[in-house]
Amino acid sequence: MKKWRINALLVVLLMVVAGCSDKEASTGGTSGSDSNDGTLVIAQASDVTTMDPQNSLSTTGDRVFRNMFSRLFYWDENMELQPEVAESYEQTDDTTWHFKLKEGITFHNGDPLTAEDVKYSLERVMTDDTLKEFPYFKQLKQVNVLDEHNVEIITDGPMPTMLNVLAKSGADIIPKQHIEEVGMDEFIKNPIGSGPYKYVEWVRDDRVVMEPYEDYFNGTPKWKKVTVRAIPESSTRVGELITGGVDVITDVPPNEWARLDSETGVELVKGETTRVNLLMVRTTEGTVTADPKVREAIDLAIDEQAIVDSLFQGNAVPVRTRVPKGVFGANPDLYDTNVYDLDRAKKLLEEAGHPDGVDLTFTASKGRYPLDGEVAELITAMLTEAGFNVNLKLLETSAFIEDYNANKNEELIMIGLADGLLDASYSLVHYTKERAAGQTDYFNEEVENLYKEAGRNLNDGERAKQYERIQEIVAEERPHIFLFQQGANYGIRDNVQFTPNLNEVIFFDDMDKK
Amino acid sequence: MRKYLIRRLLQIIPVLFIITFVVFVLVYKAGDPVALMLPEDASESDRAAMREALGLNEPFLVQYFSFVGDLVKGDFGTSFRSNQEALPLVLERLPATLELAAASMIVAIILAIPLGIYSARKQNTLTDLFITGGSVLGKAMPNFWLGIILILLFAVNVQMFPVSGRGSLMHLVLPAITLGTGIAAEMTRLIRSSMLEIFNQDYIRTAKSKGVSNSVLVYKHAFRNSLIPVVTIMGLQISHLVSGALITETVFAWPGVGQLLIQAVNGRDMAVVQAAVFVIALLVIIVNLLTDLAYRLLDPRIHYS
Amino acid sequence: MEAESKPVMTLPRVNAGMKTSSHPLKRWTKLLLQSRTGTVGMIIVLGVIFVAVFADLIAPHNPAANNLSNIMQPPAWVAGGSWDFALGTDNLGRDILSRIIVGTRVSLLVGVFSVVLAGLIGLVVGIVAGYYGGWLDNVLMRLVDSFLAIPSILFILVFLSVFEPSITLLIVVIGLTNWVTYARVVRGEVLSIKEREYVKASKSIGTSHRTIMLRHILPNIVSSFIVISALSVATTIILEASLSFLGLGIQPPDVSWGAMLTDGRNYLATNWWVATFPGVAIVITVLGIIFLGDWLRDVLDPRAQVSRKGGGK
Repeated sequence: MKKWRINALLVVLLMVVAGCSDKEASTGGTSGSDSNDGTLVIAQASDVTTMDPQNSLSTTGDRVFRNMFSRLFYWDENMELQPEVAESYEQTDDTTWHFKLKEGITFHNGDPLTAEDVKYSLERVMTDDTLKEFPYFKQLKQVNVLDEHNVEIITDGPMPTMLNVLAKSGADIIPKQHIEEVGMDEFIKNPIGSGPYKYVEWVRDDRVVMEPYEDYFNGTPKWKKVTVRAIPESSTRVGELITGGVDVITDVPPNEWARLDSETGVELVKGETTRVNLLMVRTTEGTVTADPKVREAIDLAIDEQAIVDSLFQGNAVPVRTRVPKGVFGANPDLYDTNVYDLDRAKKLLEEAGHPDGVDLTFTASKGRYPLDGEVAELITAMLTEAGFNVNLKLLETSAFIEDYNANKNEELIMIGLADGLLDASYSLVHYTKERAAGQTDYFNEEVENLYKEAGRNLNDGERAKQYERIQEIVAEERPHIFLFQQGANYGIRDNVQFTPNLNEVIFFDDMDKK
Repeated sequence: MRKYLIRRLLQIIPVLFIITFVVFVLVYKAGDPVALMLPEDASESDRAAMREALGLNEPFLVQYFSFVGDLVKGDFGTSFRSNQEALPLVLERLPATLELAAASMIVAIILAIPLGIYSARKQNTLTDLFITGGSVLGKAMPNFWLGIILILLFAVNVQMFPVSGRGSLMHLVLPAITLGTGIAAEMTRLIRSSMLEIFNQDYIRTAKSKGVSNSVLVYKHAFRNSLIPVVTIMGLQISHLVSGALITETVFAWPGVGQLLIQAVNGRDMAVVQAAVFVIALLVIIVNLLTDLAYRLLDPRIHYS
Repeated sequence: MEAESKPVMTLPRVNAGMKTSSHPLKRWTKLLLQSRTGTVGMIIVLGVIFVAVFADLIAPHNPAANNLSNIMQPPAWVAGGSWDFALGTDNLGRDILSRIIVGTRVSLLVGVFSVVLAGLIGLVVGIVAGYYGGWLDNVLMRLVDSFLAIPSILFILVFLSVFEPSITLLIVVIGLTNWVTYARVVRGEVLSIKEREYVKASKSIGTSHRTIMLRHILPNIVSSFIVISALSVATTIILEASLSFLGLGIQPPDVSWGAMLTDGRNYLATNWWVATFPGVAIVITVLGIIFLGDWLRDVLDPRAQVSRKGGGK
């Protein structure tokens, strides 16, 4: 008599599974394939966190939004700024900019894109301080609609990086009229942009699906369907690529490169990023690293080239500045170079009065950047050899960020910093007294003045020179000891053509598939 | 029976209260979500402004009571990361996790019942040793390792199953095996020992002496009894199942609650952590209650007190 | 029987029929040799303990010493390997064998001490709740229910991200989350023991609660306690590996098997030895502990005793 209970139990379990699966079966099958069927599948390491382009602030999100929304300007494949929604622009005085918009641009719902939309979008991101993109736009003071296709932006003081800001994530133009009709929540659920691809669905932690917008103002989109998947585990991501489940994967860690090389049908594509790994050094009065000789010894003890060659197989560039090649204001003398002299490092320590070595606490993350734990262990070994007694403190990402933000860093902390504006002003602010306070406590009068002057300087040539000079001083005084510029690594199927950009953004239509 | 049920249901209330409090304290202590939302070089004033805007500067008790106040209305608050209501975010992903959990249970049952019975019948033989050893092996392999190896073997080298993601039944096979193996191991061992116990009971011996064949014995008498440990372990393993799901979902890019939870914890996304833990805990409690009831149905010797 | 306690969880009692042979060590050895799996388990466990204790002496190399000119060397018996690095080297050129040997210590430390901590808390809570009953029992058991309802890995996840990671923290955190299993089992045992005649008699002549708990109750739950503890050590070793996968396990320069397995997982397809050997170490150790635990349960549990003598067929 009890048998039916047992059977019922099993039947119920089976039904649960079947019920869950059947409904999905129809939507399943995102497999890319080796013949070009007009679909593109890209797998990233993490999912988009929101469909609000002004509250995302992440490379993963930007890869979606860049193809769904339009901005006034964009970075082309040569990393040069080009007008997108803007037709032309003119700077009428130090703080006033006039933009003329292209005509005939429409949103995915057919509404025309006008100056009102530009005003609405920029005003939202420059005033709503809960938005993650807000800090980058707060220098914008006012946006005035002149007529349907002309808009004027007034800034708070001279702003040489105006166009960079208008091309960055968060500067996406969102449809004013539509949002006022349906409300912001509904808009974020079903976003509408004016980019080449329109939103179809977003299954969280799984995929974002997009379709071409046939009336896109800048030519007909190339793909019939684009899927952006989220696959957090790197070995799984590589597995999907090898089996042809996806066409392109991002963030291939160095320990997967050999596997990609050994498999047929797939290829590793190496690119660059604006992210530079560096050691922040305390120059605070009373710390051992307040002594410039000790800081120099640390720099000389680390063989960046060896790290790059062994761990990254050459796919990273040793640097002595935070502004890598390709970013405005980069100092070419400090790129692709390092200083390493173990004997001199030892001697410097002796000269500094530390014949028995120096105690250092070295904080680093594990799992935040490619091979960060390994890099930290190598550096520890190198410093030890030079006579430092290193206490290595490796922290998991969130604990690490916490320490970093609370300025709990002791002598050394290793971090990777990127440049979202592609302009040296963004990176070099770290050497001003205000920003360095509590972190490196670095201060140099000349750096301070140069940075302030450059920030107001609308002459690009002069401004670049000022930034180059700052980098020279910093390389000499070492409040930061620079390690290397991180590479960006993608895996692609052989039949895919793809050239990565320095800012790691992907335009779907720049890719090709045979 | 009804009194018992009511008492059990009433006990859920303080339990859920304790859970939300503990989780709140932990996540509050875990620190500042803003630090993780803005990039490394956001300035302190930017972070302070965002903390203020999100209401994170309020004192602990104020934050806690406003949280509880909303909770009573069924509102877990809004996710910092995605700016959406937390509870729907969790519920949206629940089917995926339930699907995985149910499939893993089925895998476990399919493996464990025959293996357990067989190894009990062949007690102390090499077969028994082999099965026992194998089941321990299943338990001893960390989930993520097993998952990665399965992907390598059966999705990449021999392309039998898809590598990752959720979709068809085929997508379910490897993650379900990954998650189910550990439970199967536990179940096999339990079935084996309870079968051994039953074999030694008088009525089986009597039946045997009357010449009832071995297989009839096993299937007619012993099999039903072996379901008691299966049901018990289903209740006990549910929270193991959830723990395993955190990892299995990450390995297989399975869009379930587990992945959401890990990201929420790492991002200090209080509302989502609360909602997810609450939903999971409720689920665990309900499953435990159900298995207790099922247990009583299967074993008439137990009475309600 | 109290409604909540599950009979399967109320494990064994001290075996009454064990007073036969003379010397206890001899008696146990004889019992051990009767069981194939028990013997294997004991050998493995003793071996692992030996390695953990003498790790520094056995390890052929410094486990932390990296050597960039010798990275990813395969094991000795594979072409390109050498006996100098018997199990090969990892991506920093470190000797995998030495790392496994030294990792034994950490993995075992975490496993054993967290279980001891969890056991102690669980024991106290379980005895108090079971013995006194009433509102105290009610409160403690609701606390236990709460902990049981939240997957322990989740607690640990949040805990570990609050404090600075260290081996001690890991031990404390795992201990603090895993005590509930003990508390439940112990309470169940206590409930049945305290109804026994001799305990009741002892109570009636005015023996203090403390004495009753220490003298009558504690000795009777020791056996089931040992059995669960043995199995918990095994699960904790696996748990440590899972935590490493989530980025929260043992951090360098300390080495653990879980951390090695995690770091090596990306190399499974190209340099299989990096993750395989630490994985094998985990599997063998867990296998040994579970075999030993099963044997202990069989020996200490009078019900299983019968079947062990081969009454099954």
